[in-house]
Amino acid sequence: MLQFSKFFATRAMLAILTLVMVSFIVFSLMELVPGDCAERYVAFKNSQGSVITPEDIQIERVRLGLDQPYIQRWVSWIINAFQGEYGDSCILRVDIAQLLGQKFWLSLGLCLSALLLAYVIAIPVGIIAATSKNAVLNNSLRLVSYLGLALPNFLLALMIMLFSTVYFGDSLTGLFSKEYRDAAWSMDRVMDFLGHAWLPIFILGWSATAFAIQTVRALMSDEIGKLYVTAAAARGVSGRRLLMRYPARHALSPIINSVGFDLNRIFNELPIVALILTLTEAGSLLIEALARSNDQQLAGAIIFMLTASIVALNFVTDIILALTDPRIRRSILG
Amino acid sequence: MTDTTNTAPTANQQLKEAYFTASQGQLIWQRFKRNKSALAGAWVLIILILSGIFSPFLTPYDATIAGRDKGYLNGAPQVPSFCDDNGCSIRPFVYTYERSRSFKTNFRWVSEEKTELEDRRYLTFFSKGMEYKFLGISFDRHLYGVDKGMIHIFGTDSTGKDIYSRTLTAVNTSMAVGTIGVLIAFFLALAIGGISGYYGGKVDSVLQMLTDTVRTIPNIPLFMALAAFVPDTWSSEERFFFISIVLGLIGWTTLARRIRTHLLSERNQEYVLAAQLCGASPAHVIRRHLLPSFTSYIIVDLVISFPYMILSETALSFIGLGLKDPVNSLGVMLQNVTSADVLLNYQWYFIPVIFFIVLVLAFVFVGDGLRDAADPYADTNK
Repeated sequence: MLQFSKFFATRAMLAILTLVMVSFIVFSLMELVPGDCAERYVAFKNSQGSVITPEDIQIERVRLGLDQPYIQRWVSWIINAFQGEYGDSCILRVDIAQLLGQKFWLSLGLCLSALLLAYVIAIPVGIIAATSKNAVLNNSLRLVSYLGLALPNFLLALMIMLFSTVYFGDSLTGLFSKEYRDAAWSMDRVMDFLGHAWLPIFILGWSATAFAIQTVRALMSDEIGKLYVTAAAARGVSGRRLLMRYPARHALSPIINSVGFDLNRIFNELPIVALILTLTEAGSLLIEALARSNDQQLAGAIIFMLTASIVALNFVTDIILALTDPRIRRSILG
Repeated sequence: MTDTTNTAPTANQQLKEAYFTASQGQLIWQRFKRNKSALAGAWVLIILILSGIFSPFLTPYDATIAGRDKGYLNGAPQVPSFCDDNGCSIRPFVYTYERSRSFKTNFRWVSEEKTELEDRRYLTFFSKGMEYKFLGISFDRHLYGVDKGMIHIFGTDSTGKDIYSRTLTAVNTSMAVGTIGVLIAFFLALAIGGISGYYGGKVDSVLQMLTDTVRTIPNIPLFMALAAFVPDTWSSEERFFFISIVLGLIGWTTLARRIRTHLLSERNQEYVLAAQLCGASPAHVIRRHLLPSFTSYIIVDLVISFPYMILSETALSFIGLGLKDPVNSLGVMLQNVTSADVLLNYQWYFIPVIFFIVLVLAFVFVGDGLRDAADPYADTNK
């Protein structure tokens, strides 16, 4: 128990440390974007017809605290970020926490569902691919997972959308029907959401599944050749029981370990898929903030929240692994 | 040894000798050759790379706006033929097109085929065309062309640029971006993974945390943030190098991790200790003793990471943050297919998509084949 709590504490500290480092990188990136919030705000005022001077920019900078040294601003940003306060968006002039609100959780939900879909398919299929001697089955599975890589998500999303627009007259875009877009959560809204969400989940899960099948297959075929499996077979364990009790257990633990990074990979695709399917969630806000309006506050907040969820997931999977595997508990840093 | 009396055993022995003295490269090549799909992938890859490199010669027109065909915007692919109603010819030909719009065509510009005998455009080979520079020397010969007007075997886009020329140029650009990205990632991975694995302990912990941090940040948003700095005033070349460097700066983590794991297990071997006792410096031990032990794995990893670089470039360009129009890259080409108008009316815009998929698939096949071939236990396991 003591060993476990020690492991828990070390892991938690490492997670927070990683998050702080990530926040520093993200913050520095946002600083590098040309121009700052004050200039942007004043430029906006200028476009509204009021005359502005360099002094106005300076006053605005002081008001926003942008005249303080870099490190100091980072420290206050990170302290606020850990409390869920991200300040105001540079362009939209609204509180970011409010703006993102449930949009972020929607995005996270989409990505997690895609991840779940990927593993629900990939684990059994990967195990079958590794164990089966059927060449046709193996080759076709291989081709499918290759295509998962070669046909990127955005292309797939585009194809499905264009075909459905042209041949079914329904573009399959968005996350909600018009009447539910701003409605409060209710049973109907949930059903409406599910009716729309399957497509982004499928598209996001597509290459993740292909990738996961490859990983499961490779890990499984590595384990199957090992001596302990032969030994177990010699003791008379066979068939599914042999697979599940011996190699599968070992093969799956590196997979659990990398779930956080898989989530990362899916997050990667989200903004682009969101752009094509015009989803109104955090991914499209991120593109908007980065590509169109240079809204560094908003972009920084979104990237920070994404990485925080990945770090959290990594932490949770570490704990789960440690609970099931005593070897990991003992190696605290490993 | 007399080879007249017992040729068969000698040949056998020579084969055995060759097997036992074969270098690792020869062994890998032997195993790779047996894998038919990987070999096919390698051929496709070589052809694509060569056609990318020699694209100025292989394509009839300049891929930028300078090579546009004003009279044939959004034009369908022209397939050269030998025969029509007016008889046959030895030289293949295409027809002249004339653009017009009227009430009949719903006021869209359409190209009308003129199939008279005098409207034939005959294909010429090694024809004179626009001047281009290759290896610093100016040339003006192109693989093919037509005697009058222009020919577009993959059709043209909305500004009249030849899609065939654009596609080959795009393959070249994307390969170049991928190469620069992979090289940068490779050196970073070698340095960071090498130091981390060789020293182990505290150095390793710190570097591993750095690696994990970079791995934690979602790549595409990071690309996007980095690409957002690129001022609009940058030329397309500057943009191109910036994007390649960014791809490299982020893509090193997987390889670094692999090198580190390998070094960690390898550094306690006796031959390393022997080298150290002889007074070899760490850099020397890493370079001369440790790295050669897994060069093949590094090469395999580089090939495997190539399609990811190309995919990242495509994704970036696709959302408009990567390369932009005067530069032709596969991402820029894919960006052009994003409208229903294209799907309904201008399907030939999808030809570059096929090139893209084939390129990525070829890389994946070759990478997988190399991985299997580089595994020294592949034969014993089966």
